[in-house]
Amino acid sequence: MNPLGSLKYHLNVNLLGRSFLRFDRMRLTRRMRRVGFWKNEYLSPPLMTSPWLKELIASHYLKGRYANGHGPVAWVTSGGPVEFLVALGYYVLYPENHGAVCGIRRSAEDLCIMAEGHGYSRDICSYARTDFGAMLGGKTPVGRLPRPDLLLCCSNICQTVLLWYRVLAHHFKVPLILVETPFLYRDALPHQVDYVKRQLEAGVEVAEKVAGRSLTPSALGLVARRSKEASLLWAEIMTCGKQCPTPITAFDEFIHMAPIVEMRGEQFTVDYYRAMLAELKGRIEHKLGALKNEKKRILWDNLPIWYRMRRLSQLLAERGVAMVASTYTNAWGELAEMMDSSKPIESAARVYLHPILNRGTGHKLETIENMAREYQADGIILHSDRSCKPYSVGQMDQREKLAKEMNLAALLLEADHNDPRVYSDEQAENRLEAFLEVLGA
Amino acid sequence: MDMSTGKITIPGRTETIRAHKARGGKVAAVFPIHYPRALLRACGILPVEVWGPPGMDTSQGDAHLQSYTCPIVRAGLTFLLQGGLEQVDLIVVPHACDSLQGFGSILLDFIKPAQPIVPFYLPRDSGEPARRFLVAEISRVLDELCEIDCKRPSSEEIAQAIEREERADSLLAELLAQAAQLPISDRDLYRVVRSREYLPSEEFKEAAKALLERKTEKARSGIPVLLSGIVPEPAGLFDAIAAAGGRVAGDDLCCSGRRLYPKGKGDDPLVRMADGLLSGPPDSTRGSVVDARLDHLMDLVRRHQARGIIFYSMKFCEPELFYLPQLQQGLQAAGIRSVVIESELDQHFPDQAVTRIEAFLENVK
Repeated sequence: MNPLGSLKYHLNVNLLGRSFLRFDRMRLTRRMRRVGFWKNEYLSPPLMTSPWLKELIASHYLKGRYANGHGPVAWVTSGGPVEFLVALGYYVLYPENHGAVCGIRRSAEDLCIMAEGHGYSRDICSYARTDFGAMLGGKTPVGRLPRPDLLLCCSNICQTVLLWYRVLAHHFKVPLILVETPFLYRDALPHQVDYVKRQLEAGVEVAEKVAGRSLTPSALGLVARRSKEASLLWAEIMTCGKQCPTPITAFDEFIHMAPIVEMRGEQFTVDYYRAMLAELKGRIEHKLGALKNEKKRILWDNLPIWYRMRRLSQLLAERGVAMVASTYTNAWGELAEMMDSSKPIESAARVYLHPILNRGTGHKLETIENMAREYQADGIILHSDRSCKPYSVGQMDQREKLAKEMNLAALLLEADHNDPRVYSDEQAENRLEAFLEVLGA
Repeated sequence: MDMSTGKITIPGRTETIRAHKARGGKVAAVFPIHYPRALLRACGILPVEVWGPPGMDTSQGDAHLQSYTCPIVRAGLTFLLQGGLEQVDLIVVPHACDSLQGFGSILLDFIKPAQPIVPFYLPRDSGEPARRFLVAEISRVLDELCEIDCKRPSSEEIAQAIEREERADSLLAELLAQAAQLPISDRDLYRVVRSREYLPSEEFKEAAKALLERKTEKARSGIPVLLSGIVPEPAGLFDAIAAAGGRVAGDDLCCSGRRLYPKGKGDDPLVRMADGLLSGPPDSTRGSVVDARLDHLMDLVRRHQARGIIFYSMKFCEPELFYLPQLQQGLQAAGIRSVVIESELDQHFPDQAVTRIEAFLENVK
């Protein structure tokens, strides 16, 4: 930390930025309350907490913009055990989330092209290419990304992230904490849990050294408690989708999941999800569905197609199809009960070993089957994501089983979560139309 | 394989499997890349590796795996579905990448072949926690092998198997190091080198020794290049290099050079096995540090006086593709030229790749 850096941080983030963002939130909230604000024929108005979400995300990237010089910065994978970093005062950036922001704002394609110009193949993950493009060209729709002092890679979402973070470590010349989570073909074995725990303990030492401070049990306990609380709230939010009509769709969840991914362990994340849940409960009470006329209910498997969210959302809404849940957003809530803030490291070892992506294809099928029953789904769209092999491999067999054994209408939709060049609107929508016909929508 | 100075016979995979089974042994089909070979041998199992095979019509596998999955995995699954692995008693699937991870998982959960599936996880780190984990992981594999009616070896038998495999590995290292002095084409040399993928180590050693005895003083002609990648398939690659006036001087292939494990340390045979596996050359599929990969490549180039590097990259192979730009950049800064040739495990080596190799060799000679 240097005094000038901290001064700049406080001035831009705490003084100017916070005031501006709070004002903007109030302005948007007022606008949403105006009669005639919402004109969509098929979709209900967005949640009133949406401006708050916008404020949180903008504030997160604003803090990042001025983080260097103010405190330590870590870049972390989305499934990474972030609690000890937050407790040590790190500003934490998630390149995958940043990639999603770039996807939504339609700047991912240019960033991918930038990375490809530096030799990165189109056959590697488009999140990674988006990140490399931003790293090499310095362009990002969020202003500026802070340079990392530390990298934390947890392989519980894919092996790709390890390769990606090796590239980052080479580029930035900073330490990389690797938390490997052996893939669980079956139930976790003691040596697998023990391996993750030992790596976490070793990782804490590295993070302490880089941050120049020690991790206190009370600070870690507090962050772990908040992390669990937010995860429980997030899980409860998603269960609202079980209501008919559902007050929230998976498209909403894709957007509202940002804090649970990149702001875990913070009190404002807990506060935000508590408010969001209260609003959803209010919608349930008033039978206000996310769609004005819900006729059919479907699930989504895999990452969203960030650059086509609005179009797909609208297309399904027009046909009265509510996407009531997704395996992807579910992943950030389903393990909440496993968290034990009184044993933060031991419990983290077990929790971070168990995400859906670190478990077998049969487990994912079971998860989908349970969700289909609980959410009363009529069908499922399995996004075959060229950029995410761990999520996609297995879908062809899963589709067969879901169709034959559960009589679910199941569509395999070929796309890429962040690279629009491999997505064809015409082809995808033709397939979607055929699927909707089968669904009876 | 006939050579001007003598004859070395290398049996094929099918013949080797038959002979081993006739002796009452079991056979494991092993997918790439790293696995405890000595453990399987100590249990009386002959590992026979499956690297594709190339040139398969993968439509049967494509009913389970998307087109953007690794070509080796898609070909391997098709081979399995077509009955190509009927003779084997078990299937070992090491965890080398997301494609192999998914492959192992769908075999266990959906395809469920007649043979037991034994997954194996090699840690990508090499510190003490990884070492401890790997010992436990090898021990788990041993238990699984015993559960499927393989004999449980004593510690001494495991130690002996390790020694046999270490000797075979050192002979493989010698073959690759002496390649320039061997009176044999690259295509034929790699028939011997790659027989390590399925021959019992005793037979491999005989073949390797016989070939090394033919060593000459004079180096073979041709522009020396380093070959880096996963697997040199189709073998027409060697013909293309030779036709363009080159020869393979150094090996950084996953199927051969990246599996030259040094002798492991430790009194306990499982610890020794784990140590050896974790001490192998830097490899993208093990998630090695980029600088370690770069230093290793530069060292190979220096040792073999190679004029450049051919990166023979497999389509959709993320472990290789992620590293390539920084490796090429580092090599360029060191004055070492390189070219990337992409392969899809076709039956025939594509003309476009031949042209790229010709152009590359013209520039480095």
